[in-house]
Amino acid sequence: MPAQEEPPGPLQPTTHVNPLGLMEDDKPVLPGVNVRAATPERLVHLCVTSFGENGDIKDEGEFPNVLFLMHKWFMTSVELAEAFLDLYQSSDETVVCPKPSCSHLPSQRQCELQIYKAKICYAVRYWICKFPVHFDLDGKLSAVIKQFGSLVQREGNSSFKELIDLSKVPSYDWMRSISVRNPSMRHNRKVSLVFNHLEPDELADHLTFLEFKAFRRINFTDFKNYAMTASLKDNPKLERSIALFNGLSQWIQCMVLSKTTPQQRADVIVKFVNVAKKLRLQQNFNTLMAVVGGLTHSALARLAKTTTCIPGETQKTLMEYTELLSSNNNFSNYRKVFHQCVGFKIPILGVHLKDLILLHTALPDKVEGNLINFRKMAQLFLILRELTKLQAHDSIPGLFANMDLINTLRLSLDMHYTEDEIYELSLAREPRNSLSSPSTPTKLVVFAEWVAGISPPDPNTINKHVHDMVEAVFKNYDGDRDGFISHAEFEAIAGNFPFIDSFCVLDADQDGMISKAEMKTYFIRANCHALRSSFKHDFHEITYFKPTFCIHCTGLLWGLIKQGWKCKDCGINAHKHCKDLVVMECRSKANASCNRRLDSVSSNGSGSQDLSYSTKRKMSQRQKRSRVHRGTQTEESYFLPPAQSEMNGEYGEYYEGLHERLLKAEESQTSHEEVQLVIS
Amino acid sequence: MSKAKTQQPAVIHKVIMVGSGGVGKSALTLQFMYEEFVEDYEPTKADSYRKKVVLDGEEVQIDILDTAGQEDYAAIRDNYFRSGEGFLCVFSITEQESFQATSEFREQILRVKNDDNIPFLLVGNKADLEEKRQVTAEEAQHRAQQWNVPYVETSAKTNANVDKVFYDLMREIRSRKMDASKQNNGKKIKKKDSKRKKCTIL
Repeated sequence: MPAQEEPPGPLQPTTHVNPLGLMEDDKPVLPGVNVRAATPERLVHLCVTSFGENGDIKDEGEFPNVLFLMHKWFMTSVELAEAFLDLYQSSDETVVCPKPSCSHLPSQRQCELQIYKAKICYAVRYWICKFPVHFDLDGKLSAVIKQFGSLVQREGNSSFKELIDLSKVPSYDWMRSISVRNPSMRHNRKVSLVFNHLEPDELADHLTFLEFKAFRRINFTDFKNYAMTASLKDNPKLERSIALFNGLSQWIQCMVLSKTTPQQRADVIVKFVNVAKKLRLQQNFNTLMAVVGGLTHSALARLAKTTTCIPGETQKTLMEYTELLSSNNNFSNYRKVFHQCVGFKIPILGVHLKDLILLHTALPDKVEGNLINFRKMAQLFLILRELTKLQAHDSIPGLFANMDLINTLRLSLDMHYTEDEIYELSLAREPRNSLSSPSTPTKLVVFAEWVAGISPPDPNTINKHVHDMVEAVFKNYDGDRDGFISHAEFEAIAGNFPFIDSFCVLDADQDGMISKAEMKTYFIRANCHALRSSFKHDFHEITYFKPTFCIHCTGLLWGLIKQGWKCKDCGINAHKHCKDLVVMECRSKANASCNRRLDSVSSNGSGSQDLSYSTKRKMSQRQKRSRVHRGTQTEESYFLPPAQSEMNGEYGEYYEGLHERLLKAEESQTSHEEVQLVIS
Repeated sequence: MSKAKTQQPAVIHKVIMVGSGGVGKSALTLQFMYEEFVEDYEPTKADSYRKKVVLDGEEVQIDILDTAGQEDYAAIRDNYFRSGEGFLCVFSITEQESFQATSEFREQILRVKNDDNIPFLLVGNKADLEEKRQVTAEEAQHRAQQWNVPYVETSAKTNANVDKVFYDLMREIRSRKMDASKQNNGKKIKKKDSKRKKCTIL
């Protein structure tokens, strides 16, 4: 344990404070950079002296890079630019040219003063050329540089003036409009958009594409703000990257849990392990972490029956990756491997964010009063240099991306579930072993909106993603371009979105074909309820007056009074011992919340009398139409929640129709599921 | 299994710091690890968060996994928790939301560890900022009682109770480990049984 063997002593004994505002370092972080702390003026001077007379950096020193990349952690760019300006202005007094014959005028090339001034200009030029984005986005900074330029001009140093002329700098628009364009992408190689037909390699390629796109957008300020505040507030780019990570991890869990038999679930796991293999080859460690994290999450890891169906080889690979990404010894396995990888790679962002946060917490910005802690600057630099270098790759080697698949995947990953929902689903698929203690809290009362700051994407984003995805689906599957796709094709696509309703819900006119509009409406709606809180039933003990059957085991609810439990929201019935095992989600709750949304949109209210009349009419129609499904009690589920009864217009009709079909569809679905569960 | 091998050098107690972002988990970790001597701190070393300490006369190692910077990666929190033997669940007494969040962490930890008695301390940090207090000691105490865990207020800034929370937690971990080994020695067949169960969970 080094921290104990050689305790890093307090400042004074190991460092020397220089009267010029400089502390030197015995153990430099970067070779050749032995500044521990200094005043801003001193740092600027050191930067200038790193340059040679020809304008190149001497000995390829890192000092200017550290200062220019990192200064924003400690001061504004304007402050840094002003420090250069001050240095230039004061150099007439501070720099003494020893040559007796020298007039110290700009025309004197050998004058020490002029050489020093030239170096200042070289330093500023270096800053402008290497970090154009600082100048691009900062009007005040540009103003200071212009002021600098006119000062140089007044002195008659026109050759210097050119060095720091912002207009001479080429346009760096490309820095902002960074997008991952890969030539191979335009070929739009034909790929399947359906998860079941997707090759693991293709899936990995597209995930890497999405990952890199999110990763490279995060800029210095985003990293800094997160390290300082530990909050994603006002940090949308980082938030997007993290949301993608969580979305992928949860999508994997849901894709596995959407399968009804252990063998099917194992097959999905095998597929994702193969995706992981490809991600490892691509050196995309962030996505690899999300995939492995999803596959080894306790919601999946606890599925004993599923695990027995996974081939040994796959289990071994998964174990290997778990080891690789393990947090043990401060992620030492990952750090080692990551360091060895060359070329294109994507880091596990969380690990490096942690390093930034801990460095920032551990080391003060200023020491000895007003000296900037350059050692901290250099240590942070090491991390940020690496990150920014990796972001600068302009394409992903060997990657074939198909935008249609990208759009489909992106929407799949937008689906937002909570940890608890997924875990409940896992328990439903493979209930806890009766031997294990039933006292452990499986019922969670509070459903947190919390999920640590990550909110589901906003409606506009969702709408855009839905739009892109539906366009992509139609482009690929509507062969005759008539604006419709078939039932079977739709079902296949819907498989990418576990736990959303089946096709007949969507095909409002039941013509067996699906239009773009129908599909868009469907996905926007599906997204607003997804699995979110809709999986939970609100069961209450109830007395039935007619023979009623359990939705889970299909057995009769026996007894004279309090025979069973009924969900207040969707009306399903179950035995006391079955109610926690019900796999079906609570649909009407979701419906109601959707309708509420619609209400707020279409508030062109009409008379409430009309409403109650039409509602009653519809209800009686439904009662007539609906054949008795499982016990007469089902009828009760048709009573509309309060929000719904306020509905009007065609939407109302539409959604009530939906609701009804949905229940029918669900029935056939659940009975199907039950059979398979019994088999398993 | 690996524990048995490391028995000879020193027992390692694995502690995980959980809590919302910005409550001072890292400050507590660093304060305990390095006190004020953090000049040469290097965050990327394998042993940056491992320290030899003397716990009631016995030399042990503490290994701290600080989840700072990963709070928002909700999806992999679960995987981190699995390796923990004890948890310091930290909130800031100056921020009500961070206190609310502790129940989420607690639930998730219990689910992952499948053990209601997992060594766990509720820690109210930033106790030096009394004037900004949003969470009363009583309500925090009340929650801790409900969970049957100790509640301690700390300040990474003034170093108040920092050592205490880590040592208290290590003591709990140690006594849990001793109980476990006693049970194992007592009933060897049971041990096999429980081991098998564990494997299926993993």
